[in-house]
Amino acid sequence: MDPQIESELEEDPIFRNSLREARVILSAWVLCFLYTVSYCYLNGYLVHEPNPAATGPAVAHLLGPLQSFDRDPDSLTYPLGIGIPDWIFYGVVLPWMICIGFSFWYGLVLFKEDELGSSPQESTEADE
Amino acid sequence: MTQTSPVTIATFIVYIIGVFILAGFSHRLLKKSSFMGEYFLGSRGLGSWALAFTFAATSASGGSFTGYPSLIYSYGWVLAFWIASYMIVPVCTMGVMGKRLNQVARKTGAITIPDVFRDRFESTSLGLWTTCAIIFFTTCNLVAQFKAGALIIEETFNLPDAWGYIGGLLIFAVTVVFYTAYGGFRAVVWTDVMQGIIMGVGVAILVPVVVIHAGGLREVNEKIRAQPPTLVTSQKGSFNDLAIEAVGDHQPAGVRYFHPGTTQEEVTIEWNTDPEASTREFVDIYLAAEDADSSTTSSANDVKAALESNASLQEVIEVKFAFDNEKFTSTPGKTISLGAPGAISLEPGAKPKTYVFVRGDEAIFGPGRKADGTPFHPFGMCLSFFVMWAIVGMGQPGTMVRLMAFKESRTLKRAILTVTVYFGMIYLPLVFIFVAARTLLPHIPQEDADKSMVLVATRVVADLGVGYQILAAIFIAAPFAAVMSTVDSFLLMISSSLVRDVYQRTINPDVKEKLVKLASYTTTVLVGALVTVVAMKPPDFLQYIIVFTSAGFAATFLFPMMLGLYWKGMTRQGAIASSMGGFLIMLACFVPNMLGGSRVDSFGVRPLVFALLSSLVLGIVVSKLSGPPPGHLVRKYFYKEKATKRS
Repeated sequence: MDPQIESELEEDPIFRNSLREARVILSAWVLCFLYTVSYCYLNGYLVHEPNPAATGPAVAHLLGPLQSFDRDPDSLTYPLGIGIPDWIFYGVVLPWMICIGFSFWYGLVLFKEDELGSSPQESTEADE
Repeated sequence: MTQTSPVTIATFIVYIIGVFILAGFSHRLLKKSSFMGEYFLGSRGLGSWALAFTFAATSASGGSFTGYPSLIYSYGWVLAFWIASYMIVPVCTMGVMGKRLNQVARKTGAITIPDVFRDRFESTSLGLWTTCAIIFFTTCNLVAQFKAGALIIEETFNLPDAWGYIGGLLIFAVTVVFYTAYGGFRAVVWTDVMQGIIMGVGVAILVPVVVIHAGGLREVNEKIRAQPPTLVTSQKGSFNDLAIEAVGDHQPAGVRYFHPGTTQEEVTIEWNTDPEASTREFVDIYLAAEDADSSTTSSANDVKAALESNASLQEVIEVKFAFDNEKFTSTPGKTISLGAPGAISLEPGAKPKTYVFVRGDEAIFGPGRKADGTPFHPFGMCLSFFVMWAIVGMGQPGTMVRLMAFKESRTLKRAILTVTVYFGMIYLPLVFIFVAARTLLPHIPQEDADKSMVLVATRVVADLGVGYQILAAIFIAAPFAAVMSTVDSFLLMISSSLVRDVYQRTINPDVKEKLVKLASYTTTVLVGALVTVVAMKPPDFLQYIIVFTSAGFAATFLFPMMLGLYWKGMTRQGAIASSMGGFLIMLACFVPNMLGGSRVDSFGVRPLVFALLSSLVLGIVVSKLSGPPPGHLVRKYFYKEKATKRS
């Protein structure tokens, strides 16, 4: 963009705020993804893929033979006694509760209540 | 026949009348403001509750209340992992693009998603392309949604098997097409609010009723674990399924149905009875056939008799009728056994039908096992589905258009918080309900599992007493509401694409409002009629079709939109490459599967991940090669005049 014109302009604050908020949300999604998928897969599966290629070389390299993570059904517990299997409780229910907390933090703290402007049609109607 | 009580039916009809009344009120508003903006976008005036519930109800499609419960019923607790991404779906799908998309749409007065693309990149071809993509995927999805609606009506109104599905389909189609066409976007949103509340209330009441009735979740889990290894055959046709339990120490791997390949008058059984055998053998069942070139003719009753008369199997398996073969009479709680007289038809030369025994533990832990023995949720699916719900959810035009309709930023914030709580109240509790339902309604074949939500309402809840029959109606209305709220928004999306994007903006920009009105009503009705005709031959397993179309939408729309909103360097060419690339790669991965081969997967990752990555890469690379974008577009969408300059 022409530097002369650029000096007369500033970055749209809605664009800037929205981008910042989007980055935070996507980071939270990545954390949830890494935690929930790895926790549930490693702690809640009776049988794991025998072929390392099935999970990708990186996973096989990091964790070794996945059969060592095969879950023994008799080791099942119910945290808090509410009947939810332990791997679902710690892998899904608990992070779900944390995500609800995160959403409230996002809404009440991070989110900027920007003025969104009006559409050309609304402006015309207002002028009339 | 299944008997739903008159009280339940009456309550359900009152609900439908309520929907029509809302459409009537909405229609009156159409006369007071600009038709196009009001009919397709509610004049950009949605408040927090309306935005929250229309968003939630549209996301919670027929799949959420038919496909999802059927999968929970079939595979158990692993579905909580399968749906886990919903923990962060509301903030992702509404927060990442909501405010910015709303602002960009306001700048140009865009009413539809293709409008946004057309204006943001000043490209008619991009506008038309995205219109075509919307019509293609939406039509596929609508067929599945119409099937779900028809099944609910069929079960609720006790329609006869001979024409029940078609009758249910017609009732559903007339209802939803009428109120959508007559009331437009505002009617859709208002009914979404009503339906969203019904869904929430339905689930909130259903959880304690079903779980307590089943003895509590812990008791449910122990009952499931104690169940003997079981298989339920899932054959095409009526009354031809059997539930077989492995009760002996020496357990077979499963059963296989074979065409005999020759003339055979009776069912014959082959099984390796050696308990010392190193591998568990299948019980092979050779069905009767008139000759080598004709289909098999044995009924499931014949198979049951043959298995029970086989001496070597008497201490090994126990054969029962599947759920569908024992239906309630008009007196709740009293059953008559219809047996399994339906024919098991295998074509000559067909592969054997294989069913494996599934242990109770496999419904408590992952990965879940399908009837044919393959894992339900392997590692690649774990990755794909976490991406699927949150990331793919952002790329749905049906949700994007709602983000263009809210009034102010504060509205969006409140709606995000509302939907966050609402989804937490819906998706996890559904797992509790349908895991418990496994112990209350055992042996539903996979072919009928799509009905499990309605079955829980009509067979479990209503049987608890007369007072519960009104609740049953609410439970039935919940999936019906979910289906309707998705269908109405999709119908409107197609008609807006055709009327606004194709006709008004491309063919005849000076069209008179009277003609726009007529075209909008007519298009909505015609699309509804077309989908109804296609849905008369319904596809199986709703959830898979919905997954395909949702993934297709995301591959086509997500990155072109996201990059267009947040990257100054995005060009028109980049947007077209990103959108078309995602669409074509998605199709290319599915075409081999459609032609009867295997789907293109790598590491078990579903095609959508490749399509999304390709769309992202193409958008960036092509924009870099074709850039920079026109300066006036960058200024218009990413900058504003400095405050000092304005003063």
